Amino acid sequence: MDSKITNSILYLDNVSVSFDGFRALNALSFVIEPGELRAIIGPNGAGKTTMMDIITGKTRPDQGEVYFDGAIDLTRKDEAEIAQLGIGRKFQKPTVFESHTIWDNLELALNRKRGVFSTLFYRLTTEDKARIEHILETVRLTARKNDYAANLSHGQKQWLEIGMLLAQEPKLLLVDEPVAGMTDAETSETALLLKDIAKTRSVVVVEHDMGFIRDLGVKVTCLAEGSVLAEGSIDFVSNDPKVIENYLGR
Amino acid sequence: MITEFLLSRHEKKTLVVAALILLAAILVPLANLLAPEGSLLHVPDHLVPLMGKYLCYALLALALDLVWGYCGILSLGHGAFFALGGYAMGMYLMRQIGPRGVYANPLLPDFMVFLNWKELPWYWTGFNHFWFAGLMVLLVPGLLAFVFGWFAFRSRVTGVYLSIITQAMTYALLLAFFRNEMGFGGNNGLTDFKDILGANIQAPETRATLFAMTALLLALSLILSSAIVRSKYGKVLIGVRDAESRTRFLGYRVENMKLFIFTVSAMMAGIAGALYVPQVGIINPGEFAPANSIEVVIWTAVGGRGTLIGPIIGAILVNFGKTIFTAAFPEFWLFALGALFIATTLFLPKGIVGTVMQGSKARAERQKAVAAEKGRTAAQPSQGAAAHETQAAE
Amino acid sequence: MIRARSRPSLFSPVRWRLAAACRLFVLALVLTAACGFSPAAAQEALRPLVNALGTGGFPERAEAVKALAATGDPKVPEILTYLNDGELYAPKAGGAVYRIASGNTVIDPLTGAPVEGVAAGGLQKIRLNNTLRGAITTAMSQLTLLSPDRDKRFSAAQDILKSADPAQLALVDGALAQEKDNAIKGLLGAARAVMVLRSDHSVEEKKAAIETVAARGNRDALTILTTALAGAPADLVPVIEGKIEGIERQMALWDVAQNIWYGLSLGSVLLLAAIGLAITFGVMGVINMAHGEMVMLGAYTTYVVQQAVATYAPALSTYGLAIAVPTAFLVTGLIGVAIERGIIRFLYGRPLETLLATWGLSLILQQAIRSIFGPTNRQVDNPPWMSGTVDVGGLAVTWNRLWIIVFSIAVFFALLTLLKRSRLGLQMRAVTQNRRMASSMGIRTPYVDALTFGLGSGIAGMAGVALSQIDNVSPNLGQNYIIDSFMVVVFGGVGNLWGTLVGALSLGIANKFLEPYAGAVLGKILILVLIILFIQRRPRGLFALKGRAIEQ
Repeated sequence: MDSKITNSILYLDNVSVSFDGFRALNALSFVIEPGELRAIIGPNGAGKTTMMDIITGKTRPDQGEVYFDGAIDLTRKDEAEIAQLGIGRKFQKPTVFESHTIWDNLELALNRKRGVFSTLFYRLTTEDKARIEHILETVRLTARKNDYAANLSHGQKQWLEIGMLLAQEPKLLLVDEPVAGMTDAETSETALLLKDIAKTRSVVVVEHDMGFIRDLGVKVTCLAEGSVLAEGSIDFVSNDPKVIENYLGR
Repeated sequence: MITEFLLSRHEKKTLVVAALILLAAILVPLANLLAPEGSLLHVPDHLVPLMGKYLCYALLALALDLVWGYCGILSLGHGAFFALGGYAMGMYLMRQIGPRGVYANPLLPDFMVFLNWKELPWYWTGFNHFWFAGLMVLLVPGLLAFVFGWFAFRSRVTGVYLSIITQAMTYALLLAFFRNEMGFGGNNGLTDFKDILGANIQAPETRATLFAMTALLLALSLILSSAIVRSKYGKVLIGVRDAESRTRFLGYRVENMKLFIFTVSAMMAGIAGALYVPQVGIINPGEFAPANSIEVVIWTAVGGRGTLIGPIIGAILVNFGKTIFTAAFPEFWLFALGALFIATTLFLPKGIVGTVMQGSKARAERQKAVAAEKGRTAAQPSQGAAAHETQAAE
Repeated sequence: MIRARSRPSLFSPVRWRLAAACRLFVLALVLTAACGFSPAAAQEALRPLVNALGTGGFPERAEAVKALAATGDPKVPEILTYLNDGELYAPKAGGAVYRIASGNTVIDPLTGAPVEGVAAGGLQKIRLNNTLRGAITTAMSQLTLLSPDRDKRFSAAQDILKSADPAQLALVDGALAQEKDNAIKGLLGAARAVMVLRSDHSVEEKKAAIETVAARGNRDALTILTTALAGAPADLVPVIEGKIEGIERQMALWDVAQNIWYGLSLGSVLLLAAIGLAITFGVMGVINMAHGEMVMLGAYTTYVVQQAVATYAPALSTYGLAIAVPTAFLVTGLIGVAIERGIIRFLYGRPLETLLATWGLSLILQQAIRSIFGPTNRQVDNPPWMSGTVDVGGLAVTWNRLWIIVFSIAVFFALLTLLKRSRLGLQMRAVTQNRRMASSMGIRTPYVDALTFGLGSGIAGMAGVALSQIDNVSPNLGQNYIIDSFMVVVFGGVGNLWGTLVGALSLGIANKFLEPYAGAVLGKILILVLIILFIQRRPRGLFALKGRAIEQ
């Protein structure tokens, strides 16, 4: 097998998908190294969300290869399987279980056996309890652990969702617009949190906020019309004439 | 593990309702059999099966609530599972008639003799044993739900699409059971039952026992349902209801989650049907009518879906209303039922229990807020006083 | 028991028709007799033949009937009718034949004058058996073959073809020589051919006869040829076999065509019922369980319009249906707008609640109609231009079905044009795709919602007008169509009118093709099961929209 595949955490090659004649992804290829934090930018309709749909098994590509963790072909697996393999996904619109408490949200996200009967007879162990409390600390929601998630502010929901991803203990996190609707202070705290997370796992962040991406200070991939337009450091990408033309504007 | 599971923390109101139902299981038969006629405590004979019927409906509504209220699957075909359970019990009761039928055939039920059938169809074998019929009461609806759900949930048929195909399912069964060739008595269904487990089915003692059994099974089902919905699995179900894709991306197999609760719920509906048939004395294809299944939905909605006691209260209230109404103004019952559908969806989307719970929760929160406010105002004057003092000291 | 059994057979269709034909004929004859056509002398010449009816066993009497018929006397059918009706009596020993019509008056069957001195008690009814009845039928046909009335000759020719007794060959030849009408000629020709086949004519003549029979190409021809095959000479066998095969192939084709026709007819009904639903469910995403009741209201509107027209403007009664179409559209459309404003607008985005509320509404509407019009069926008449059948080859095409197909296609394309070309259509599509954007661009979304729902309901009302022509107009009318309509929309793919068209027609045709093998009920169950399985394979129907937009 290609060493590029075996050495990567995520490997996309020549991936295309169309909806009713509209080509959402057009021969998209890129590679994420283990432990890497990658930012993805691009105009609306560039295929960012479709790319995430394909990685997480929500959409099947028309053609192309998608490999995870060196050898696992993701195009043959569904969402649950892929999540169990260790890919976590945060949606653009924060999606948490609104009628559960914050504690329950995290308990559900914990990386434990997820079958019907294992959940039916599940008892909260001290180990799990400690783990949840640790995550609560990380996402700063300890004080609100018994509140319903519906009552959280927008930013807090984003953080809870990130917390849920952490509870899932994924090898790769896909984070879609984590700072949309956040205050500046929250945004920079989120950047810190993501950098912290990236110490132990790979993270792919899709974001429009250039300031936030500059805060992250990592390799940037710019997508447009379903394929990679440019890749490199933020300064390199933001000076690329094609990127300026397509995305940033003059 | 099972007992631990069943005895795990329940909500207080669930336990109270379960206790009330158990109390009824004891008191109603006693008041019927022992209290002298004419006394205030006496429950007349005709009321016992009527109340038993309400409890069967309550069990059916509870079963529906498990899938609709907790998992967001609006089944418009739960009447089919109820009817299948009923038919399984009806087949047992038919075989108990034996040579006492009009045609006095020791083996074949009357309608088969009438249709000139010579042999008992293979699927009627075994139904002369109560244990076998009891098993079928669980297995037949369970299996149908499992197969149906396996296909539907795997291919992610959700929302109204699922509702429509569950309705089509019960409609197809309705058409099928109307056919004489099916061997379930066609149009007339199964009736003229004589006895159950050797006891005369018409006797007050039998009816009182049937009522007690119904109440007992309802209470047990309530406790079982409570254990299910309060487990981590139950929380996953609510997750599926509120944010299905989030559940999936957390690694849960949503189709398996749905399939399990759908099958359990269908079995529960089957039990309700099996208890219903000996108490009303007949089962016919009319029970498969789509309208019946939708009516169950409205009981659940009125009582409050997503609460366990809501459907029980809703089923009893609506059916009690139906009894009163159809006796007093039979012409207007459909108007009333129709209006109930509209009013519930428009003005009481959480149902009675849901609205009351919301009210009490809001009150509790207000009290909490008031208490916190009080705490602050209690602290403030001292601060103010302290400030005053410092000011005064200056 | 036996008596009770035998009674209905007296009214069995064939005999009833025969009796009716006889009576008509008698009436005609009585009229001609009144004109002084039948001289007494000729009557008296008949008498020995009439008297022969009373003697001997059944075979002898049958001969007597034949002899009577052979005279061709116009009085004969009258006599035969009396015989057929059991009004002729004879003494036990035989001899003169009398008629006892009513009471105990004995009359002369030929003159109709009362006969003195013969006691009714001494007479015995001349009994009939099937041979004798057959002889009477044939005799009557022979006589009527020459009748001046075209319809009578036609039915006589049909009768002759049915019996096709070679003994009547001469009679048929005679009739053929005189006949001008082509349809009757065809029948007689066929009858002649069959007779030739059954007689001992030459092989050449028989071959020609086989051609003539085979040219008819229907089931009767098949039966004739199959019977002929049994007694055919060796060199005719392959000819007949070839013809039989040809007819069978042809009939199989016509059967397929007939099934397709029935399927199209059912499909067009489904299309009419589903198309309004395709608007409310497909375009707006609203589950309207009261849709069937809109259809029902349309049918009742037709009834009311028809009654009103009959009372106030009887001259227009032929066009009652044409008036009912726009009326039903308006009535149900307005009710639809009222429902949208009163209930549905509070429930957007909550499809399951909409389902329940509209179900409640359907209960109320059904009960309201039941309270106003009663629970029984109402009679809605077919206008003359919608009644009757036309034969197209081996197809029987009923006019009302044909009109409904035309109507449903017309409604479909009108709707398609409305959605694609009109301003309202554009606004509707805009609102369904992005409500907030549409409203910020100045489209009054509540207004569009109400109109869209009204449009869907109005189309349902028009469907009701069509259904009133082929189905019972009762409060339950809508219930019979609601599940099927949903199946059509879901099968065809939500939000796509073409899908609804294809869905309706293919479900209709599939249903009619399954019916012969599985029976009507089982066929329907099979269709339901197939759709359920299909939805599992393609949860979004035949013509599904793909992409991100539909996920929301």
